[in-house]
Amino acid sequence: MITQFKLEVLKLIRSRSFFLSFLALTSFVVLMLWGFYTYAERKAGEQATAQFKYTYESKSYFNGLTFALYSVMFSFSLLIPIFVAMTSGAQIAGERQAGTLRMICVRPVSRVSLLLSKFLVIAGYTYLLVAFFIGLNLLVGLFFVGWGDLQLYPGALNLVDEPGKLMRDEALWRFAYASLSGTWALLVIAALAMLFSVVFDNPSMATTATLALYLVFHIVGRVEFFEHLRPYFFTTDMDFWRDVFKPEIPWQSLGRYGSICGAYVFGLLLLAVAIFDRKDLTT
Amino acid sequence: MWAKVALIVLCAVMIASAAYFDPARTRSLLVSRAQEGPHLRLMTWNIGYAELEDDSRAHTKDMQAIAETILTNDPDAVALQELTGAEQLKILLGQLHGRYRGAAAAPGNSDRVDAVLVKNREAGFDQLPADGKYAIAARFRLLPQLPEIILISAHADAFSAARRRAYTGDVVDWARHRSTGSIVILGGDFNFELNPRNQSHLYTDNIKNDSEAYSYALKYFRDLGRDAGQTAANDRRIDYLFGPREKVTLRRAEVLRNAGVGRMDHWPLLVEVAL
Repeated sequence: MITQFKLEVLKLIRSRSFFLSFLALTSFVVLMLWGFYTYAERKAGEQATAQFKYTYESKSYFNGLTFALYSVMFSFSLLIPIFVAMTSGAQIAGERQAGTLRMICVRPVSRVSLLLSKFLVIAGYTYLLVAFFIGLNLLVGLFFVGWGDLQLYPGALNLVDEPGKLMRDEALWRFAYASLSGTWALLVIAALAMLFSVVFDNPSMATTATLALYLVFHIVGRVEFFEHLRPYFFTTDMDFWRDVFKPEIPWQSLGRYGSICGAYVFGLLLLAVAIFDRKDLTT
Repeated sequence: MWAKVALIVLCAVMIASAAYFDPARTRSLLVSRAQEGPHLRLMTWNIGYAELEDDSRAHTKDMQAIAETILTNDPDAVALQELTGAEQLKILLGQLHGRYRGAAAAPGNSDRVDAVLVKNREAGFDQLPADGKYAIAARFRLLPQLPEIILISAHADAFSAARRRAYTGDVVDWARHRSTGSIVILGGDFNFELNPRNQSHLYTDNIKNDSEAYSYALKYFRDLGRDAGQTAANDRRIDYLFGPREKVTLRRAEVLRNAGVGRMDHWPLLVEVAL
């Protein structure tokens, strides 16, 4: 399995989508920086008439940590899941489309080991992606916006019930925690894409099905009509990763929703393994 | 085979730990040591009807039920919103069998008024101008040797977040300037919509306006009913009792969800503090 894992790592690194995802995230950070910088200038500059002077438009509010927080929050729901679904969805279906799956399966490697080593690689890739993105945002924030404490207000980002503050060093630790909690949440999408990758013959189909399901739940969960259905969507449970940014981390809630995400991940993997193990490979 | 078993075990462990962790397990309001001193019980209640009704102001036929709720819970002072006027307040005071004194705010530019009720016979009342309309404040003492208590009854605009911000700013400024020698409690229906998921207009500054207003109130006061849950229909917490940060100890905060009458869309928020 270790050899298989190493081979899968090499395959991933040599794929174009691997570098494309990092490039896209870097472009997003540049775009965010431009937007944040001009907004901060407009809202907190000398010519500005402060409308929200106690909260969002005070000069102390705009700093590198706030920039990183907004950037991470916005990208986590819609941008990073695309790359995770794309890479994970291509794992089995991609091999099938390229005609290499049968060849791999005739080697003395069990199908279960093959699938699990692929998933482990995806888990490592997801962590790398999240850690890279958070690290890049913090670096850009430090050099281009400047650091301060992280101020949090109720309403925006829906993080806190009352105004709160994270001191700089504590906030940096919270970003480190977010790289772990964020990865754990994203593994649900990775596992779902892996399942579709086993079910469908085409990687595009697997990626599209994963993103369609994710986006439908994500959007429907925000529509008031379906309020009573929200607790049953995996997208609601995935939201737990943000709790690490609360002034006092709700460990009980974090444990609960983190465990639910874990149940999704292992449950979906189990299903994927069961299907893949019995699947007749004809291509 | 071992891998499948490991996955089944991991999945079962995750389900078990999800059941073990209880997100609702939070700190109790009563963990702090009991404080000596008299208790002050306050209530705020928007007694108007849901907006689908023809007349969404309070209905006079409900006054008896409202009075019964007040008498049952026995608050020292009550902040009421959405009354039709002083006449309706008079009827309510009659239903309260003279146990409370009260005053209604001037109508200003609104068709509904706020009111305060106080048990204390020597209470005084002040009109409080805020963003074109009026809130009303009651001044009273629980005991002669204790500091003066001021309860404000306020009702911020239901439809414009910008107006809510302006109104809240005026009321909070009035209240904080009187908080030096007195215990000021700010009660009412502020209509703050702080959860973006409940917002139907996503491309507005509504959240920022409400966040600014709420944060400004919390700059000087404490949200006493924060852990009591929703106060209005559709899981909304829009009725508040803001009190001083340090002068009082919170003993109880409860939303009386069985107290609604007719087509009211709010429930009374009852808070008890030790002085």
